[in-house]
Amino acid sequence: MARRGGFTKYMDRRLSSTFKIQVTSMVDMFVILLVFLLKSYSTSPVNITPSDKLQLAVSTSTKDPVDVLKLVVSKVGIFVEDKKIVDFNQGALDVKDVDAADTQFIRTLYNELDEQAKKARKIASVNEEIEFDGKVIMQADRSLPYELLRKVMYTSMMAGYSDVKIAVVTKD
Amino acid sequence: MRSFKSRVDDATFELNLAPMLDIIVSIVPMLLLSVAFIHVTVIETPIPQAVEKAIAAANEKNKDLISVTLSVSKTSGFRFTVNDNGQTKETVVAMKGDKFDLEGLHKETLSLKQNYPNVFRLELNPEENVPLEDIVQVMDKVRTSVTSAGEPKFTIKDEAGKSIETNLLFPDVVFGNVAGG
Repeated sequence: MARRGGFTKYMDRRLSSTFKIQVTSMVDMFVILLVFLLKSYSTSPVNITPSDKLQLAVSTSTKDPVDVLKLVVSKVGIFVEDKKIVDFNQGALDVKDVDAADTQFIRTLYNELDEQAKKARKIASVNEEIEFDGKVIMQADRSLPYELLRKVMYTSMMAGYSDVKIAVVTKD
Repeated sequence: MRSFKSRVDDATFELNLAPMLDIIVSIVPMLLLSVAFIHVTVIETPIPQAVEKAIAAANEKNKDLISVTLSVSKTSGFRFTVNDNGQTKETVVAMKGDKFDLEGLHKETLSLKQNYPNVFRLELNPEENVPLEDIVQVMDKVRTSVTSAGEPKFTIKDEAGKSIETNLLFPDVVFGNVAGG
């Protein structure tokens, strides 16, 4: 009996030591976070990750981007839809990437863009709702010289992407 | 008789916030994936339908008659070349020290627009060493007038001959020297 009394006392002590977690402040914190995230929620087709290799130019333009082919020209290379196509050699184009007969023509970029154009035309041929309009959004680093951008634009024009839109960030 | 304090204690209760916390914890990772800290736009001026048609018609009409070209050089600044029915007129906006005189460019664009209100296309010819940042600033300056700063609006006529007011200067900027320039 004495042992049973001891166990009851132990259980009583144990029950009194249970507690409830106070989650009110945690919910407050999450609600603030939720409001901030909802404010920054974006469904834009063009999203960039801030990086020192790709800083877009600042502009007053307020036109939202459309969902078209994405061409990225950063300080390290040229990407088509996140796939690295051309590697820069110390911030400039490598000789092997430029056509010997036409110095404005970037052969490797043309091959990739031509492939993308063929794909888009094939889709457009089977789906009447989709039209190949040769639009491309160019996300280029703001410090890059026009010399390089001109080569990129010229090559994309040759591949059928003649409507080049330059991605920028808004002032605010 | 029960005291007032014990009656108040009986009436209080705790909200069960655990399900609410569950929902928020599920939503937060989803929102974190779609969050955008930088708002990206593209360089194109939003043009109302009627204005857009009027601009297209004016561009077509003036295609071979009037052309406006803007050359951008890091040494000599900006040079406007207007070809009006075979007559060429040049205007230069010099550099301000080692920087571009963007305000001077904007003023010159406004005065040019007053002379040619029906021209909307501008051919931009930057030199090879001009960085994209400067090109974008130039495009911003020639695209629209700042009506909030007291700058004038311009009147154009649509297809039906109706007058439309717009703050657009040269919204149709094309790179003239991309192909073989």
